[in-house]
Amino acid sequence: MANENKNNSNYRAYLFVFFSVVLLALTLWIVWDDEFGLRPWKNYQQEFKTLKHAQLEKEYSKAASDFQKSGDAQKLAALKAQLKKAEDLFNSNDVQEKYKKLNAQWVENHEHSVKNTKELQTARGQYLETEYYFTKTQKPEYKKKMDELQKQIDTIASRATVLQKQGDGLKSSLAPYTAGIADLQAEISKLESVLDEKKERIGTSDKVPVEIKQVYIKDIDKADRCQSCHIGIDGSKQISMKQPFTRHPASFVFLKNHDPEKFGCTFCHRGQGRATTSVVKAHGNEKHWDEPMLEGDMTQTSCLNCHGDVKQLRGAEYIAQNTELVRKYGCYSCHKIPGYDGFGDVGPVLTEVGTKVNYSWAINWLLDPKKYFSKARMPKFYFKQDEAEAIADYLFSMSGNTRHDVDYASAKPDEKLVDQGKQLWSQARCNLCHVTNGKGGNNVKVYAPDLSKIGSKVSKEWMFKWIKNPNAYFPGTKMPRFRFTDQEINALVEYIVNEYKDDDAEMKYTTPVEIKAESIRKGKDLILKYGCYGCHKLQGMEEMVQVAPSLLSQGVTFLKGEEMKEKIGAELSSIGSKPVDMLDFGKLKKSIPNDRLSYIKQKLRDPRGYRLGLRMPNFRLTESEINGLASVLYGFTDNNIPSRYMVPSRQQLDKIAGVPSYKFTGDFAKVIGDVKCTNCHSIKGIGADYAPDLTVAGSKLQESWIRKFLANPDVIRPLLQQMPKFGLSAGQTPQKVTMPKFNLGTQKVEDTNRSDVDVIINYFQQELVTTDIPKQIPVITTLSPEEQVAKGKELYDLKGCKACHQVGTEGGALGPNLSNVGNRLNPGFIFKHLENARKFKPDIVEPNYGFSERERIYLTNYLMTLKLNAK
Amino acid sequence: MNNPTDIKERVKKNIIWKSIFRRDYRNTVRDRAQAIFGNVFLHLHPVQVREGAVKLRFTWGMGGITFFAFIILVITGVVLMFYYHPSVSQAYSDIKDLEFQVPFGVILRNLHRWGAHFMVIVVMIHMFRVFMTGSYKAPRQFNWGVGVILLVLTFMLSFTGYLTPWDQLGFWAITVGTNMGAATPLLGYQGPFSEFLHITPFNDVRFALLGGSRVADNALLRAYIWHCVAIPLVSVILMFVHFWRVRKDGGISKPHK
Repeated sequence: MANENKNNSNYRAYLFVFFSVVLLALTLWIVWDDEFGLRPWKNYQQEFKTLKHAQLEKEYSKAASDFQKSGDAQKLAALKAQLKKAEDLFNSNDVQEKYKKLNAQWVENHEHSVKNTKELQTARGQYLETEYYFTKTQKPEYKKKMDELQKQIDTIASRATVLQKQGDGLKSSLAPYTAGIADLQAEISKLESVLDEKKERIGTSDKVPVEIKQVYIKDIDKADRCQSCHIGIDGSKQISMKQPFTRHPASFVFLKNHDPEKFGCTFCHRGQGRATTSVVKAHGNEKHWDEPMLEGDMTQTSCLNCHGDVKQLRGAEYIAQNTELVRKYGCYSCHKIPGYDGFGDVGPVLTEVGTKVNYSWAINWLLDPKKYFSKARMPKFYFKQDEAEAIADYLFSMSGNTRHDVDYASAKPDEKLVDQGKQLWSQARCNLCHVTNGKGGNNVKVYAPDLSKIGSKVSKEWMFKWIKNPNAYFPGTKMPRFRFTDQEINALVEYIVNEYKDDDAEMKYTTPVEIKAESIRKGKDLILKYGCYGCHKLQGMEEMVQVAPSLLSQGVTFLKGEEMKEKIGAELSSIGSKPVDMLDFGKLKKSIPNDRLSYIKQKLRDPRGYRLGLRMPNFRLTESEINGLASVLYGFTDNNIPSRYMVPSRQQLDKIAGVPSYKFTGDFAKVIGDVKCTNCHSIKGIGADYAPDLTVAGSKLQESWIRKFLANPDVIRPLLQQMPKFGLSAGQTPQKVTMPKFNLGTQKVEDTNRSDVDVIINYFQQELVTTDIPKQIPVITTLSPEEQVAKGKELYDLKGCKACHQVGTEGGALGPNLSNVGNRLNPGFIFKHLENARKFKPDIVEPNYGFSERERIYLTNYLMTLKLNAK
Repeated sequence: MNNPTDIKERVKKNIIWKSIFRRDYRNTVRDRAQAIFGNVFLHLHPVQVREGAVKLRFTWGMGGITFFAFIILVITGVVLMFYYHPSVSQAYSDIKDLEFQVPFGVILRNLHRWGAHFMVIVVMIHMFRVFMTGSYKAPRQFNWGVGVILLVLTFMLSFTGYLTPWDQLGFWAITVGTNMGAATPLLGYQGPFSEFLHITPFNDVRFALLGGSRVADNALLRAYIWHCVAIPLVSVILMFVHFWRVRKDGGISKPHK
């Protein structure tokens, strides 16, 4: 209207055309992008189909050539020729004439019979109708009609029987004409089916539609579309080694036990299961997606979601080994972690530490534990000199009022005592747990302290008391009480103090210096601040810990039990699912990747790095320990996983079922609390796997043998050689490890008049037995015992037992030495062991030979004759 | 019978035709005016507009563009509602599905999101222009008032829509926003004088906004209803009042020469 100016409208026309073209192009681009650009899985699926097609094609051609080679092809040709011949015969005029005639009769019969059946149905219908009216009206005319119809039905039915008979007769006379042909056809199709099946598989696989493959799990609200690209992940065959087409590695463990249809993928691997538009997005490696995909060993962190116990779990070896680190460093001492309940049990009791160590040593230790012992578990708190002194003052004041050192550097050792002590040291196998000068300490899980410089750390008096009865100083310690005499302990102390001392140790307080009250108060504050009581017990003997009157008047008090209950660290029960936005990266926001795993690792690497004022000490972990611990922490999530996924641990199950967990009872509990058998042995699930499991020892071992062995593990030494399972790295020669000599049997158990050996044997025979192992083996009466033994020996040689087992001087060393097995094991155990060795020791390498019962009896009888006579 | 004019006559005499078009259009002044009067959409538009008032450099076209953005938001919004469940467990997954799975979901959601930002910006520029050209002065005071309410409604639409994806951004925005409500004098439990009305965290304005004392399922549902039903309804009504008043107040204000 107003703008009808010609120039103006021309100008607008150009603009209009321009924008129209742009808009059209954009629209087309949107459509293209939506169909292809944003759906890259279509290409993957097409490619996979091509690969699969090629593989199936290959299989088919292989099958086809096999078919040719195996002579099946000729067979098929012969059969086909036979068929042709049979058909020709059938098609010949005279045969056809007869056949057609018969067939026509049959067709006629069939038509009649069909018609008859219809009539019968109609009559029956009418009958039912009439019957209905009759019951309704009770009119006699209906009754009459019913009778008529019944007659009609009977006639038709009898006619049907006749027709049926006729028809059957005709059919059976027709059958011989075509029987031969049908048989041949069946045989041919059977031969051809092998190839046809393969051909058909190509067809079916080609017809699989290209579409999103989704697993939806309602109760955890997961929609995983990973298999849209990882199309071959669950396949029965490896189609291609190229990603994303590979099969799941070790799927016989992982997918077999975790059906992808029920678990999806992100349940274990995390990542962004819904994403399908790009690899980066699907793997969750984008900003604002907190769960990047887990790969390789790190995926095992997800085992912790459901499995209460990963120790024996196949495929969870990495995480199992790392959960051990949480125990080792006692993370649960400061942090609340589900499943880890301990408190104050990582480090030694410190209530009387002032009577134990040198003050100078304590300061050095507090300043930097790794300086004294490179494998020290205690972390570095970055104390300043005065802070370390304040803490040491507090600890020392609990059992005295001076800073004091004892220096043995210049003392003259009693050589005779030292020699005796040295012998005792090796008999008691102190080096099994303790490291000295870089040697020993194979049983790593007891975390025994390094003794290389012990002579400059503790006093002789304390050491004497300690060895005499470790439980008195540190209830619950892993140190066993050896049954030494006082004289022996003196010798051992003399040896240790002289052999393992640090001549360069600085001793500032050989003349005691009084502790100042101010310093103690400061130490108390520091102990509260850093929560020392999380790892060390600082009380428990309140009546013994009294403030000296001189200090009391200056306002010094010691911490009470209730003041030391709180775990000072942050709760970690859901650290593995904490939103990244809630993690405080502080000073490092810009210098490290802002994801959860990096946060955890950096925290472990430099616990106080994020900002000022953090308290967590530095454990100076190795990079592999950091990765290991991070993998465990990453598995502590608060995902609400339905109970149907949960696999509770044995202990949890017992708790649910109300079954009390196994506890040692009676006098045996006293002995085991003293000798600490479970440091090395496992009994009914309690203890370590360092030495043989003793759960069924009562059924397995002979009493006399146990008695001899306990009294003197050295004498029967060759029989129990074990390769240490831990601390063994490549290139290191395995050491022969034997049980320490505890001098059992020399003392009576407290409050009883039985010796500890008697108590042990009694408990073994009462408690550590199983009905699975018979006391006696079946007896064969048809052969004399000698013949049976001979037969057993024959079998022993025949099956090649000596490849692994040694008897006398002959045989391999992989299995246990059998030279004295007749004295050691009960026949019932051998008999059962030969049947199924894995029953009592699941990870045993012994093969199963499938012996018959008779053979097992022969072998058992033979083995029972192998005896060494004790010298 | 087969004569095209006959058919035309018959169709025109048909009652359905008549009910829609009523009478023939002749190109006369009366009919042209009638066309405007008789059409609800054109009815809002003035019959005559001053030439100077439609110059782009005077109005910047911002009011119209705002309305255009609103229409886009309504259309995309309705389609988005087909794919969205206002529940805590599903909301975020639905947004992710729009990105990854729904045909044209990406363009759909992005149009809605960017369109919303665009509308907020444009409506503010519109207000700025109205202010700078003095168009709030008499006789347009009432329409300025309506415009201010519409501005607030636009902000509220934007704010309530912010929570619907149920992401961290929206969650914390609503947390902060409703906490501000908690500090309202008299009506918020943290605000001054609220103790006189016995206001607690469980009966204050924040509670009303969230349908609870924290941002959870109910807050999401309320935000959704406000966003999709209540506020758009009020906005549409006020928009038509707004346009109507433009006409009644003598069309778009005239620039000073």
